[in-house]
Amino acid sequence: MNDKKTTHFGYQQVPVEEKAGKVAEVFHSVAAKYDIMNDLMSGGIHRLWKRFTIELSGVRRGHKVLDIAGGTGDLSYKFSRIVGPEGLVVLADINESMLRVGRDRLTDRGVSGNLVVSQADAQYLPFPDNTFDCITIAFGLRNVTDKDLALRSMLRVLKPGGRLLVLEFSKPRNELLSKAYDTYSFRVLPFMGKLVTNDADSYSYLAESIRMHPDQHTLKQMMENAGFANVDYHDMTGGIVALHKGIKP
Amino acid sequence: MIDPTLKAAAGASLETVVNKALEYDPATRSRLRALAGKSLGVDIRELGLSLCFHFDTEGVRISHLEDDDFEPSTRLCGSLPGLVMLATSEKVNLADSNVEAWGNTALLADIKSIAKELELDWEEAINDWLGDIAGHSLAQRLRGQLGWLRRRGETGRRLLSEFLTEEFRAVPSGPEIKHFNEQVDQLRLAADRLGARFERLKQKITQR
Repeated sequence: MNDKKTTHFGYQQVPVEEKAGKVAEVFHSVAAKYDIMNDLMSGGIHRLWKRFTIELSGVRRGHKVLDIAGGTGDLSYKFSRIVGPEGLVVLADINESMLRVGRDRLTDRGVSGNLVVSQADAQYLPFPDNTFDCITIAFGLRNVTDKDLALRSMLRVLKPGGRLLVLEFSKPRNELLSKAYDTYSFRVLPFMGKLVTNDADSYSYLAESIRMHPDQHTLKQMMENAGFANVDYHDMTGGIVALHKGIKP
Repeated sequence: MIDPTLKAAAGASLETVVNKALEYDPATRSRLRALAGKSLGVDIRELGLSLCFHFDTEGVRISHLEDDDFEPSTRLCGSLPGLVMLATSEKVNLADSNVEAWGNTALLADIKSIAKELELDWEEAINDWLGDIAGHSLAQRLRGQLGWLRRRGETGRRLLSEFLTEEFRAVPSGPEIKHFNEQVDQLRLAADRLGARFERLKQKITQR
């Protein structure tokens, strides 16, 4: 009998220790064209989702912000402007290729002085306890092998009163929108992936991983179980994406 | 409830328009830099909308006041007409404006003074769009048309005012209103004096 622990990788079940490697392969493959694909896939709306995340973050001058799964640095760029020279933004990602693209992009945009880059696993964040005023993880939590462990790790490095914001795909509220979204995700997305990055599989994984991700209510409970207080969420674009917010007590 | 995506889109559009406009007025942009780190919150009662204008070294950032813990440097709350009136009128005081203000009200005076000197180089904007030659020619034409419209507007306003006050006698003229106000003031003063005398007389009678 095989009693090896497994987890999902899209619709497949894979041994727990293999998931991170498989996710890494996906992101190594798409890193170079990640931004173009994001704009194409969402019609640019991902920028509005991120904008709302920043509005809800309450970040201000002098704050320390951790942008987990920060990828190409969209959020880090805005945060570095808000926290000013006396603040600090840490752009963290487990994937080296994504981090390199993000770091180069931010350097090209003139961000320096208040930004550091860190290759870090969300489950084992390499920072001291009570360090950050705000942590964001945008479109990253669903790729993490052990989400509960990652949430506890985030709670540990947040300062008391600090807030965690999880921006992630979720479950559309409307049945009709849900059907249209399914068709789009499973037919159009892989086709676009094939066309732009010559990699349909990575985009099929994207659609599958979204379906396997916990819905709004389940994620809220997971955050509460991890120890966050005042957990709440906002549905965006009919629930295609949800923004969860929790405070470290 | 409005989907946050739409709210973010509205905020992003407004922010783009404001910062794009500021690109054509470097002097105002540089004056705004002095306000870096300050923020102005605006609550529009009818719309249930709370916007925050954050000033920083790169321009203006606009967000919705979703964060209850965040307190802008100055916060205005009022009706849309009141806020529009405050933004467009020359005066800075809030009397009779139906607008309330909290926090650092000196920021309001600073913003009003900067806005007063706002002068967008709209010819430059047209040049960026059409090229220097075509842009300059269109700008000259527009400038001529605008001048003509402004002159016509002023003449029309003067003629209408004269017709209503002098010919049609539908409304009193400026000097008549001033005279009436002075008479009202005198009457109020006389009534106050009479009241005071009456009180004094009453006290005397009671003392006896």
